[in-house]
Amino acid sequence: MDIIVCLKQVVDPELPQTEFAIEPATGRQVREGRPLVISTYDENALEVALQLKDRGGGKVTVLTLGPQAVISDAFRLALAMGADEMVVVDDPRGPDRLGGEKAAILAAAIRRIGRFDLVLTGCESADWTERVVAPVLAEALSAACVTFVSRVEAADGTLMVRRMADEGFHRVEVRLPAVLSVASDESNRPRLPKLKDILAAKRKPVHVWPVADMPAAPGDLAAGVEVREVVIPQRTTRCEFLEGESAEQAAALAQRLRDLKLL
Amino acid sequence: MIGVDFELTTEHRLIQQTVRDFATREVGPVAAELDRTSRFPRELIARAADLGLMGVMVPEAYGGSGLDTIAYLIAIEEIASACASTAVVISVNNSLICDPLLRHGSEDLKRRYLPGLATGRLLGCYCLTEPQAGSDAANVQTQARREGDHWVLTGTKIFVTNGVEADVCIVYARTDQEPGARGISAFVVEKEWPGVTVGKVEKKLGIRASSTCEIVLEQCRVPADHLLGERARGFRVALSTLDGGRLGIAAQAVGLARAALEISAAYAAQRHQFGRPIAEFQAVQWMLADMATRTDAARLLMHRAAVLRDRGRPYTKEAAMAKLFASETAMWAAHKAVQIHGGYGYIQDYPVERFFRDAKITEIYEGTSEIQRLVIARHVLGMH
Ligand SMILES: Cc1cc2nc3c(=O)[nH]c(=O)nc-3n(C[C@H](O)[C@H](O)[C@H](O)COP(=O)(O)OP(=O)(O)OC[C@H]3O[C@@H](n4cnc5c(N)ncnc54)[C@H](O)[C@@H]3O)c2cc1C
Repeated sequence: MDIIVCLKQVVDPELPQTEFAIEPATGRQVREGRPLVISTYDENALEVALQLKDRGGGKVTVLTLGPQAVISDAFRLALAMGADEMVVVDDPRGPDRLGGEKAAILAAAIRRIGRFDLVLTGCESADWTERVVAPVLAEALSAACVTFVSRVEAADGTLMVRRMADEGFHRVEVRLPAVLSVASDESNRPRLPKLKDILAAKRKPVHVWPVADMPAAPGDLAAGVEVREVVIPQRTTRCEFLEGESAEQAAALAQRLRDLKLL
Repeated sequence: MIGVDFELTTEHRLIQQTVRDFATREVGPVAAELDRTSRFPRELIARAADLGLMGVMVPEAYGGSGLDTIAYLIAIEEIASACASTAVVISVNNSLICDPLLRHGSEDLKRRYLPGLATGRLLGCYCLTEPQAGSDAANVQTQARREGDHWVLTGTKIFVTNGVEADVCIVYARTDQEPGARGISAFVVEKEWPGVTVGKVEKKLGIRASSTCEIVLEQCRVPADHLLGERARGFRVALSTLDGGRLGIAAQAVGLARAALEISAAYAAQRHQFGRPIAEFQAVQWMLADMATRTDAARLLMHRAAVLRDRGRPYTKEAAMAKLFASETAMWAAHKAVQIHGGYGYIQDYPVERFFRDAKITEIYEGTSEIQRLVIARHVLGMH
């Protein structure tokens, strides 16, 4: 099976909150000087792809959209983990584009890659959390789509997947080609690469395609959405002392919590 | 290129990141329990082998990872920052077994043992020390008598790391009745062979999850082609092996020192006395500053020796300096870490108690601090 995994580079979400900043004029997140990593669920998607390849063979291509100049070492690790090659759509504006627009560019890149049976993405990105790339990609590629997939099993030209649902999961059969967005699961914890594969990854092909070469998206997939403002929520803490004996305090506390709809 | 490059290469950084992930996710969480129960970290060693950590510098053709000394030291430092016991198990297999096999072994010996050792199917141990041959390693008394196409080995080796679990032993024995270093030869011996038994298993102050035991050889018949290097040149094998081994121990020590520093800094930031974090007291800051400085200096000494080694240049003195300074830094930093933790540092609930016990061995094995100073002094004085 030929699989394409979309990996997004984001500012390390584990950084302390104080490192999170937004440029007031543009509303874009400040990335300069911050460590960049592969977005959390994208790594789970990669692991799913590698497991499918381990079991059934085929080829895994990782695809990313972003400024080539700051493509981090993390992608070398993706190749070391077992991806066969990498395509970078070099786009300085990449990280600031909205999901629909990004998906349209990724779809163009996927058409240029050519053959594929399956496209995997993370179920949401660690920065924008839009959750739209997979469905828009599927639309653009005329492929089946299932989101929030925790497990994938290849079965005779189709896939049996588990889709996360409230208090359980759905078992869904999907025809190929398909686009799946992957959620984390104990079965898809990203593997660690072998040390020798870290060296070998250096020799794997990396193709860099300028975003300008990507043919324009069919229709206007990004239309209708515009980000007007980006704000960091201000958190304040306030301390309130309840008077009286313990029993009175307890009653007052219960009442306050109820008022705040916390009980 | 002009100047000195202190930056790690991309590959080295990725190796560091990968081994750090392994150490923090898989090794760290079980380290205290392994120490408490003195249990050999079998599962961790299997996982380490999967990643290619058991034969870091063994060429890929023999099943290893084919990396350089810096990569190896980065890996050991990361493992040791989580568990010094696991680090020494790995270090012994790499430095003291794979390395001499690679440098001195016949093609046949290399093909027979390296793929297993590098992939975790086999574990190695190094049998040099004897009751009367510690620092004076040339005083080996184990005898090797020639019988047809075999050597017959008899003697007792002590303090053998990995001895209990090992499959392959490198054994030093006297083949020639020359005095001191000149009559010693090195052999590759399988522990399964008749005449090899595990003797007393030691109970230790630290690195408790690694085994240390006697290996007793009684009329053990070793095929003549299992001689490692030339006959009567075994002491050279031992010394060149220990140069590399000392770097492995330096890396273990740097890992310990770094862990002591990181945990102490975090503790000092959150522990309040006199209404503020103890990190605000200059006395504590100075301890942390010195721990950081010495740890960095130790790592730089170690990496310098590694660069010389990888360039094929002599590095005996530099390895001795790195091992001496790193091990004394580990002990000192662990001591300060306990001090910064106060009473809590003395209690087993906090890892610095284990670091303190684990650090001490780095000043002793693969040449005590006194022996390192002796090696360095001989170079300084031109007496080597
Ligand atoms: C946990 C552990 C694991 C070990 N693992 C291995 C192993 O895998 N394989 C192996 O072969 N050995 C191993 N050893 C042995 C270790 O290398 C020796 O213990 C060490 O070299 C010191 O030898 P010794 O214990 O006989 O001490 P001694 O040589 O008796 O030294 C006692 C003291 O005298 C000092 N001293 C000795 N000679 C001199 C001198 N010329 N000048 C100044 N001071 C001197 C020493 O520095 C030390 O302070 C291990 C030991 C331990 C404790």
